[in-house]
Amino acid sequence: MKKSGLQLATIAVIGALTLSSCEGYSSIEDNIISGDVRSPNSALNTNFDGAVFSIPSPIQTGYLIKELNLSFDAKLGNDPSKVRLYVDEYSQSLNLGIYGADLGYSALYDQKNITLKYLSSVENLTNQLGLNAAFNTEFLNSFESKIDDEKEMIHLMSEAFKKADNFLKNSNRKAASALILTGGWLESIHLACQLNSKSPRQEIKQRIGEQKQSIGTIIAILNEYNNNSLHNDLIEQLNDLSLSFDKISIRYEYVAPEIDVENKTTTFMHSTEIDFKNEIVEEIKTKIEAIRLSIIYNSNL
Amino acid sequence: MKFIYIFILLSLSLSNISAQNCEKIVQDCEDLFKTSKSGDDFISDGQAYTAFLDRENAEFNTTFFGGAIYRLATSAGSRENFVIFTIKDLEGNILFSNKNYKNSPYWDFKVKSTIPVIITTELDEDLKVTGCVVMLIGFKNE
Repeated sequence: MKKSGLQLATIAVIGALTLSSCEGYSSIEDNIISGDVRSPNSALNTNFDGAVFSIPSPIQTGYLIKELNLSFDAKLGNDPSKVRLYVDEYSQSLNLGIYGADLGYSALYDQKNITLKYLSSVENLTNQLGLNAAFNTEFLNSFESKIDDEKEMIHLMSEAFKKADNFLKNSNRKAASALILTGGWLESIHLACQLNSKSPRQEIKQRIGEQKQSIGTIIAILNEYNNNSLHNDLIEQLNDLSLSFDKISIRYEYVAPEIDVENKTTTFMHSTEIDFKNEIVEEIKTKIEAIRLSIIYNSNL
Repeated sequence: MKFIYIFILLSLSLSNISAQNCEKIVQDCEDLFKTSKSGDDFISDGQAYTAFLDRENAEFNTTFFGGAIYRLATSAGSRENFVIFTIKDLEGNILFSNKNYKNSPYWDFKVKSTIPVIITTELDEDLKVTGCVVMLIGFKNE
C-alpha cells in the first residue's frame, strides 16, 4: 500500500515524539551509551542554541555602587512613564533591559515608590513581549510583598529575568534575549559613568574598564541574532564605543588557583591591573549617553 | 518533495523536543544552584545557558568580577555528573576543571581580582553522548 506524504510525515513525527519521550524518562542505564554506538558521521552534530554568550549581571555593578555609599540619584534611571513610547519588540526588549537594571538599582537603595514604578514598567513591557510566564502574578505579588527586603527582591527579579531569558531562547526569540541583555548592560555602565562623574571613585572607574571583554560579547550577540539587519545601527555605535575600550590597558599575571576540595571552592590568585586615563572614561561616558538616549527616546540611531 | 516535507516536520519536532528536554534540565539545575553552606543563596546572573551537544563542546566568554563568589552549576539530566566544565584564562591556563573532581555538578569560585574567562562545557562521553547541557551562573558578594 502506498502511503501519502502526509501519512509518512505523521508517522515520522510520531516516531520522533516517541523516541524523545523514551529519552526524557529513560533510566540512568539507558543514558550510558557504549562507544560503539557513536557515529562520527551523525547528522545530529549540532548545537540548537547556536553560539553561547554570557553578559555579567547589571546588578553586580549596582552592588558595587551601593558598597561605595554613593547616594541614590533618581534622575539617572529611565523615566518609568516613557514606557508608552515603546511599541515594537526592538525598543521593548532594549528598554526592558534598561528598566530591569533601574529596578535593581532602586531596589538596592530601598526606594520603595520608585521601585514600584519601575516594576510597573517592567510588567508592562513583559506583557507586551509575551513574557507573562516569567513575570506572572505570583512574581509580582511576591515582589510587592518583599518590598522591604532588598535581598529577596534582587533574588526574585534575577530569577524572573533568567526564566524570561530561557523562555525566549526556547521559543527561538534570541534577538529579543540579546536586546534585553544589551539594554541591561548599557544601563549599568551608564549608572557607573554618571556616578563616577559626580564623585569619582577608583573602584567605579575600574569597573567601567572591566567591561572591555563584555562589549565584545555584546557586539557578537547582536551580530549573531541580527534578524533583518535590525541591529545594524546599534552595532555600528557599539563598534565605535569598542574603540574607546580598546584604549584600556589590562595587565594580567597568572598565579595557580588554590583549591578547597572539601568545600568545593576554588580561589583565583591571579593579579589584574587596569590602566586608563580619565579622558577615556569621559569618552566612554559620552558615547554611552548617545546610545542610551536614542534607545530611551526610541529615536532612530 | 514529500521527503523534504517529512524532513522539515521531523526537524521541527526534534527541535521542539530538545527545547522541552532542556527546560526540564534547567529546573533540575536550579536545585544545585540555590544553596550554599553559609545559607545564602546565589543570585542568578539572569541567563540560562543551554546547548544541545553531540560529541562537541560549547564555549563562551564571561567576566568574573573581583570581590564576588561565583557558583557554576551544570546538569544534563537526572544523574548529576554528566557534564564536564573547564575554566581557562585568556592565556589558555586552566584555572579549574570539574573533571578532576568526579565531574562535580557545581563548584564555587572566590574571585579577588576581576578576570575574563573562557568556559567550556561538554558531555562526559563515557556517560552520555548526546543531549541538552545546562549551565547556570550565580554570584554573591564576598
